[in-house]
Amino acid sequence: MQILIEMKEIIKVFPPNVIAVDNVTADFRKGEIHAIVGENGAGKSTLMKVLYGLEHHNQGEIYLEGQRVNFQDPGEAIAHGIGMVHQEILLIPQYTVWENIVMGAEPVNFFGMIDRQTARQLVQKKIDEFQFNLNIDAKVDDISVAAAQKVEILKLLYRNVSVLILDEPTAVLTPQEIPQLFNELRRLRDLGHTILFISHHLEEVLSLSDRITVMRKGKKIATVQASETNKSDLAHMMVGRNVLFTTLREKKTVGKQIFSIENLTYIDGSQHKGLENINFKVHEREIVGIAGVEGNGQFELVNSIMGLIPTKEGSIRVNDVNLTKADILKRRQYISFVSQNRGKMGAAVKASILENVMMTHHRLNPQFTRWKGLLLNDQYARKFTEQIEQQFSVVMDRMDNPFHSLSGGNQQKVILGRELLLATPFVLLDQPTRGLDVGSIEYVHELILEMRDQNRAILLISADLEELFRIADRILVLHRGKIVADLPTDQTDIEEVGYLMLEGKERSCKEN
Amino acid sequence: MNIITGLINGMISGATPILLAALGGTFTFYAGIFNIAMEGMMLAGAFFAVLGSYYFDSWLMGIVCAILGSLLMAVIFIFFAVTLKTDEFVTGIALNLFALGATTYMLRQIFNVKGAFSNPGIVPIPRIHIPLLNQIPVIGEILSGQNLIVYITLLVVFISAFVIFKTRFGLRLRAAGYNAPSLDSSGVSSAKIHIWSLIICGVLCGLAGAFLSLGYVTLFSENMSAGRGWISLAAVILVNGNPWGIALISLLFGFTDGLGLLLQQYMPSQFTSMVPYVATLIALYFYSIQARKRKV
Amino acid sequence: MQRKLISGIIGIFIALLIGAIIMLLQGYDPLQTYGALFNFSLFGLFPFATTLRNSVPLILTGLSASVAFASGPINLGQPGQLLMGALFATIGGLYFDLPPWLMIPVLLLLSMLGGALWSGVAAMLRKWFNMDEFITTLMLNMIADFFTFWAISYPFFDRSAYSPMTPQINTKGWLPIWGEFNSNVIVMILAFAVIYFVFNRLTAGYEWRITGHNSLFARLGGVKIDKNYVTVMLVTGALAGLAGGLVVMAGPHRFLKGLGANYAWDGVMIAVVANNGLIGTLLYGLFFSALQTGSLGMELITAVPKEFIMVLQAVIVLVIVAGRGYLDIFLDKTVAKRKARERTT
Repeated sequence: MQILIEMKEIIKVFPPNVIAVDNVTADFRKGEIHAIVGENGAGKSTLMKVLYGLEHHNQGEIYLEGQRVNFQDPGEAIAHGIGMVHQEILLIPQYTVWENIVMGAEPVNFFGMIDRQTARQLVQKKIDEFQFNLNIDAKVDDISVAAAQKVEILKLLYRNVSVLILDEPTAVLTPQEIPQLFNELRRLRDLGHTILFISHHLEEVLSLSDRITVMRKGKKIATVQASETNKSDLAHMMVGRNVLFTTLREKKTVGKQIFSIENLTYIDGSQHKGLENINFKVHEREIVGIAGVEGNGQFELVNSIMGLIPTKEGSIRVNDVNLTKADILKRRQYISFVSQNRGKMGAAVKASILENVMMTHHRLNPQFTRWKGLLLNDQYARKFTEQIEQQFSVVMDRMDNPFHSLSGGNQQKVILGRELLLATPFVLLDQPTRGLDVGSIEYVHELILEMRDQNRAILLISADLEELFRIADRILVLHRGKIVADLPTDQTDIEEVGYLMLEGKERSCKEN
Repeated sequence: MNIITGLINGMISGATPILLAALGGTFTFYAGIFNIAMEGMMLAGAFFAVLGSYYFDSWLMGIVCAILGSLLMAVIFIFFAVTLKTDEFVTGIALNLFALGATTYMLRQIFNVKGAFSNPGIVPIPRIHIPLLNQIPVIGEILSGQNLIVYITLLVVFISAFVIFKTRFGLRLRAAGYNAPSLDSSGVSSAKIHIWSLIICGVLCGLAGAFLSLGYVTLFSENMSAGRGWISLAAVILVNGNPWGIALISLLFGFTDGLGLLLQQYMPSQFTSMVPYVATLIALYFYSIQARKRKV
Repeated sequence: MQRKLISGIIGIFIALLIGAIIMLLQGYDPLQTYGALFNFSLFGLFPFATTLRNSVPLILTGLSASVAFASGPINLGQPGQLLMGALFATIGGLYFDLPPWLMIPVLLLLSMLGGALWSGVAAMLRKWFNMDEFITTLMLNMIADFFTFWAISYPFFDRSAYSPMTPQINTKGWLPIWGEFNSNVIVMILAFAVIYFVFNRLTAGYEWRITGHNSLFARLGGVKIDKNYVTVMLVTGALAGLAGGLVVMAGPHRFLKGLGANYAWDGVMIAVVANNGLIGTLLYGLFFSALQTGSLGMELITAVPKEFIMVLQAVIVLVIVAGRGYLDIFLDKTVAKRKARERTT
């Protein structure tokens, strides 16, 4: 196979001093499926964005078919036949499938009026050509995430790109949807297209790709043939040391019931049942995991527990205290909460680290205030922040610096520290390791297990099935607002849970 | 009968500047820009309209200058909010203050008056009498004889609806508002769309200003826009951008303006002047109640 | 802190440069003009005292806007709240007769009540009907303008006057003047100290600030954001009302048409250019007051109309705010470029 794209000695620095891509040289061949792997923060996304023109490199050269290129924006890249599908679906939810696909390259009549007929015809032709199975008039808002991903790919194929870059394409899919995507990618390759895809899921990468490039901390470690390597070699190159893939759970005896939800039903403003008849309990020294495709009720569940949305039917209890109608402050006496979105719910990123740490403690712990809660006790708050810094090994400069000056992993540590030191009996964790590097993920898992040993009850919502199987004692599956399964972890496996997540019921006949 | 036609004509006069500015605001609304500078653009338009009409002895030049003046404001907004990426809210507030200061300053410098400039040398925009229509009893007095800009406004409503919903530009405009990164990744610069929407808004606000100072009355007074830019902003938010809905709401506000004039016989003028603003509050009340119901 | 000072000073300098260019184009002498401007506002006891006196409504309305914006609510109602505060103080001054040591505090309290009442209307509309305070406070501005106009033209009209205004308030309510200095400055400094303390040292202030950064985070943390919202609206309304009362009590001692002029919108502008920082608001308030105070003298000496100051103010705001973001980006980019070059050597 001939070399199609060459990237030589690429350097990319994000202001002020983050070296995202550190002198990387790599080549990609025509008609291959090439995976770029590395853990979070390794630079794989940035490298591809530099190729695509979304980011501009500071040093280095890029060659396409032997010619020097330097795309200033994605438009140029697309014009040269290179397209990228991003991790977050970048479509217009309010528009239909065909509108999204033609946008930017619309067929027009006089006065710039869109030629709807021609547009729809052209789109349908492409759908049939690649056998994608999409309804061109459906609103993107209404279709599944897997389908939306296909729309993204089709958008690029409509513009006749021959190189497709996919950024973590399986992150938004269930285990069942992945083989279908892979088949489509293989078909595209066989038709002569080149596929570059970014991932940190090693099994998928090994099953799909021809060659694999490994990156770590901005540097390229190696490029290998998929057939000549295996999971642990790749992991070793990714992380720099040996990584174990075993579960961490030891069998612990579970204690009394701490947290319970009974008959919880939530109907939103448009009469849609967000949650239907939710019933489950979490006990002392127990980690209960909730699996499910995003959008099946996790959002409503978390918000109901925290008190952001009102509960009209059902009850929520911690330690026999009925929290169903309680205000948020009252709930915080019993519930610690680590949200899935640090920036939106877990912190005020422009405020200082100190100010972020004080939250909730300032109302629940009288030592933080004087004059009957009126005046802040700055001294005590600072001592407390130091305590968190030490206890949770946070790497920070001054505590008056803004919160966003911390790295992602350290931010999460501060948040965990703040929440865990509330000393509540029940802990709610929503995607606590999302976007963290392997080192931080391991640390967080150890912390979670420590919490369990401290006799707390833990509810862990996660999209990472590997994570759930690693540390949860029981796994519940949320599907269309209902709990469709409640299984002890050692009595099930990833395939079964994946199927339940997608279909909402078990397979009718058990396959081997 | 005369009272009703008078009321309706007053309604149309009051609605026109609000409608034009609101249509301009619609474009920026769909583009996803938080544009609160309509007040400043309208004020600049009103001033330059009088300037152009007086010095060139022509209402056409008045309109041209009004549009140019308003566009100047738009360009400043573009420079700060789009190119330098300054916060849109802040830019809007600063721009409104700039327009107020600059027009008051120029009023003094150029015309050597304070407060207001009124002069027979200012050429007003004419009314148009349509030959057959004006013979229809009753309705004829409304359909014909309106100021030229009123008819232009009607045209603008149609054109706006067409552009926003049927054309390629409109598709991209709304996309910029719904999800700008998506538009950028499709190879269309959302920044360019933002710039065009602001230019269109500038043109329409300029027309609105010209109507204020050359159509409604024939003078320029300090701070002449008197909060109409804010009302048109309220209109855009209430209707969520649909041009037809905006036309309706503007007529409603114009109605309250005319109503105010009518009520002046019965109560002190200060209270009747409040009517459009109270009406905006009432409209906002209904909108907010609705929005709340839809949420939970 | 350092970056803020630098960007502020550079911004003012650039804006003054732009102003100089505009002046040159019109045929004025910029150095003479600026010289006169600062001569009449800062150099000399009388000018300085006047600048101080004039800075009071600017700083108080600026604080009103700063505290509100930094805590979440978009209170743009300072113009109306100032007028209502002035009205309440005037009415009290016309009907009460108390010894000065009692009269002045009572009138000041009345002005705060008037301002708080007016902002309270917007707060309740938001609380009960979810009506955006952005628009309601703006509408209420116009309504207050007309309402006070009516009030001074009819029920509280001074029959002996030729234009709409009230009679002068009881002399016991006049703020004392010591030499050149007006005591309204004392009130302003007191108010500043109180609000600074509340905002930065009290638990309530902490909650306001965090809510201003991220209201969802605050809410999840147990902060009662609805209650705090109303409190902030009332407090900031009171500040603007206080400004109005002081305008009456330190100035014309009566409510006349055009009272309050552009003070309140200038206050919003000051908050914006100070990025809602309290100390920045104080400093910029003094600076803008100097510009406005000096403008009269400037006009005397070089015939540049005082309205030019309005233009200059807006230019300063735009330049500083735009420059602020840009300076950060510029500095970060330079550091990044340097780092990249290091890697290749």
